[in-house]
Amino acid sequence: MAQILVVDDSSTVRNEVGDFLKANGLSVAFAVDGRDGLTKLKADPAVKLVVCDVNMPNMDGLTMAEKVRSELGNNSVNIIMLTTENSPAMKERGKAAGIKGWIVKPFKGDAVIATFKKLAGA
Amino acid sequence: MNDAVDLVSKVLVLDSDPNCYEQIKTFCDANHLVGLKVQPDNVMSVLRSNVDLGGILLSENYDGRPQGGLQMANRIHSIRAELPIFLRRESSNTLDDISPTDRKAISAAYTLDTIASLQNVIGEYIFSLSYPNVLVRGITEITLAALQSQFKGLTVEVAAPYIVRDRLIYGEIFTLIPIESSWCRGYMMLQTEEIALLDLVKADRTHINPEEGFDFRNLNGVLGEVTNLVWGAFKNRYMSDTARSAHLSQVPIVINHLHRYISFGSDNPQLCFKYTLVDTSGGQERHLDIYQKFVFNLNWSPEDFTENLTSVQDLVESGELDLF
Repeated sequence: MAQILVVDDSSTVRNEVGDFLKANGLSVAFAVDGRDGLTKLKADPAVKLVVCDVNMPNMDGLTMAEKVRSELGNNSVNIIMLTTENSPAMKERGKAAGIKGWIVKPFKGDAVIATFKKLAGA
Repeated sequence: MNDAVDLVSKVLVLDSDPNCYEQIKTFCDANHLVGLKVQPDNVMSVLRSNVDLGGILLSENYDGRPQGGLQMANRIHSIRAELPIFLRRESSNTLDDISPTDRKAISAAYTLDTIASLQNVIGEYIFSLSYPNVLVRGITEITLAALQSQFKGLTVEVAAPYIVRDRLIYGEIFTLIPIESSWCRGYMMLQTEEIALLDLVKADRTHINPEEGFDFRNLNGVLGEVTNLVWGAFKNRYMSDTARSAHLSQVPIVINHLHRYISFGSDNPQLCFKYTLVDTSGGQERHLDIYQKFVFNLNWSPEDFTENLTSVQDLVESGELDLF
């Protein structure tokens, strides 16, 4: 039972973000792309927060966010995009999919940990 | 295009007449060339190890032999045909009396008296594309930020940006990502050496757990994420959301592993940056060289270049959470 699901195709980012969150007392699960993220979220509905990249193979992060709501019917999980993208059009699409926030990489854990904890119910 | 930056390019100077050095050096200095002198015995090994050359200045009687220059030109051309060779001759600044076979290896001829005429040829072969200053500076800034986020506690040294005609791949780890906008289309490449990168992983200077870092796939991930960060920042700063044609041209990219050679189907010179990561911790100095090359082989229209000023001004600082 993880509190946070980190979805990123980069093992470096998964390590970086995961290690930081674990060091701050949070339990973390990982997925390697949007399709894997949907599977993991379906298997573990207790996840409170998804931290998700946008550009990934097989299924991108915004499509995954849309499917979390439309296919899994999970309207309670908080989704935050962690991505190099900063385009207003993409952010609008994310908002429409019900995501909670947007972080432009690189990841700076200290700047977001308090909010992450709140959104993860910690 | 405005505010184009004066880039440099490295050229090998293969000339055995010390009386010419001063004039050649003066010409190089005046034309943004960095001349590298090489001993005759070392030419081939230097060509095999250097991946960032712009051309060759070669004398016809190289190594004190009347045919020495032409023989060397043919040897160089057979292994590095992408490098233009400029031949210094004693009495003629044309190639008219040289056999067609030898002529294929040489881009232009000059004499010391007419060396100034080489300026146009250098412009044609090496500095044929110009790059906005703000773009060149910006690439360095965003790459430095990406490197500093993925490598912990290291000093990053940046060489002056330069132009290369080389097509050789440096090291063993190599990333390639398309760069596409209304004003440019091409690729960005990052190239580095596996062992030097592995040393930094072992020293816990990356986000990879050192105990997990000995799988080459993890090493690939480090350079992959640096590439992703630079690509994203480049898009955010220099590209707009303007829809582009769905019918864009493409050309095959050809890689020859035996010769560590990559071709983008174009003779365009490439914009090159070299970053050296230095780790002085633990009493042992470690270095990692990363070459970053931009090849705009599909479109280069710097007159249409724009920086996304509004997005720069309104940008949420990277790493900050923008809550909706």
